[in-house]
Amino acid sequence: MKSRKIQALAGIGMIMVLFFLAAPVFGAGEEAPTSVQIDSLSYLYSGVDFDHELHVDVAENCSACHHHRFGGELEDKQCARCHSGSKGTFAITCENCHVKEPFTGQHIRKMEANLNRYHLDMTGLKGAYHLRCFNCHIKTGAPTGCEDCHTRTDAGNRFYHSGEYAPKGGVHAGVHE
Amino acid sequence: MSGISRRKFLKTTVAGSSALALSTTKTAFGMKEFHGYPDSMGVLVDLTRCIGCRTCEAACNKEHGLPEPKLPFDDFSVFDQVFHDGKQKRRTSAEAYTVVNRYDQDQGAPVFRKINCNHCNEPACLTSCFVNAYTKTKEGAVIYNADVCVGCRMCMVACPFRIPAYSYDSALHPEVIKCNFCYDKRLKHGKPPACVEACPQEALTFGHRKTLVKVAHERIREQPDKYVDHVYGETEVGGTSWMFLSGVPFDKVGFDTTLQHHPILDNTKSFLSFVPMVLGIWPAMFLGFHLLAKGGKGEKKNKESKPIVEEHVE
Ligand code: SF4
Ligand code: SF4
Repeated sequence: MKSRKIQALAGIGMIMVLFFLAAPVFGAGEEAPTSVQIDSLSYLYSGVDFDHELHVDVAENCSACHHHRFGGELEDKQCARCHSGSKGTFAITCENCHVKEPFTGQHIRKMEANLNRYHLDMTGLKGAYHLRCFNCHIKTGAPTGCEDCHTRTDAGNRFYHSGEYAPKGGVHAGVHE
Repeated sequence: MSGISRRKFLKTTVAGSSALALSTTKTAFGMKEFHGYPDSMGVLVDLTRCIGCRTCEAACNKEHGLPEPKLPFDDFSVFDQVFHDGKQKRRTSAEAYTVVNRYDQDQGAPVFRKINCNHCNEPACLTSCFVNAYTKTKEGAVIYNADVCVGCRMCMVACPFRIPAYSYDSALHPEVIKCNFCYDKRLKHGKPPACVEACPQEALTFGHRKTLVKVAHERIREQPDKYVDHVYGETEVGGTSWMFLSGVPFDKVGFDTTLQHHPILDNTKSFLSFVPMVLGIWPAMFLGFHLLAKGGKGEKKNKESKPIVEEHVE
């Protein structure tokens, strides 16, 4: 039951804050930031005050999150087959590649316009963040509740019909299909 | 539906009404396979990404101004709800065009599955409707026009995914209710459905259906250990705009894996060749009743998009 609850909680946590590493551009050898505000599109949840320092300590290496490269060689041999010299692989922030609105007609057309494009399947920014953070948190036993990372906003409570906006019948009202 | 097999019921009953729909559009015979509009949009649902947060349900509720839910959308006890002696999980209804269900697995974590109208390439709801209340738009949405519906509910029986729900709010104005792919407010304007936009995990990927088929196979190819090698909806019932990837066998997450891989309509073809004459009279008759009942207001509203069957003639 407990794990189910956590599983459930995990769900809510992951919502709607479009992560966005507002990190200053820094190269290898420069100091990594201690904390990063991730809050470019907070709406249902407020932004995340991301403890970068802590993650630097626990991660095996930078590319655990910054999956392309970080200073040195490309981590993923599969990527390296084509991308050892690609400019894009030097990008550090997620939003360098992962767009905020991946499903607009305009973006879809742009992706499809290049018939040689190999990577058709590119997640948006919100997806990139949640998939990366959340999957790792599950694997490593890190917190997975939504509100472990985000604080729910008033708009969020209204959206989920939760908190002061909970249905008046109460939580244990009769439920039908 | 106890005792009677839905499929058998369909074969005998839908045949009649399909014939009606078809006979008004001259396409019943010699009809070639239709594989959907070339620019049809779709959604790829990746069950391995879904965490069961129900944000998509909340987004749908808000987008369509649906009634207040009985429980908050962050209440996960709904996953324990079962109906009909535990055989039936939550289904779509007049109050919820989409619902997420949890499927506990023998091994590993439970898997969540979002259900809604799959927006079939050749929708059984459409072909079964003898007043043409349904339209398959060129963007891929299957939409419904309550103004011409007579409330016979044949579409509810015909749908292989049991999606259309019936609103009992008004006895005089029958209304079948289902997901419309956010057609009016979003899809038509090149925007993704509300649920897709809200999903934090990008478990829902919106795009051209033909691109999504490639994306789906690509995901399987890149991570063969993670996925079952099947894209549900690529060919089921002739293909659907909403398609699914799963990490566990599809029948372990409530999918009907016994569905045919060609349109439901085909069931009626042989039948049609026997009795077109008799059935040909019905539409006029029913339409007459209908126009009487509606006081002559049986106008079709969705003029921009033609019904799929008509498209064939041209
Ligand atoms: S899933 Fe059912 S309601 Fe939706 S288009 Fe297909 S047959 Fe019609
Ligand atoms: S919003 Fe996305 S992750 Fe959440 S339940 Fe819906 S499909 Fe699953």
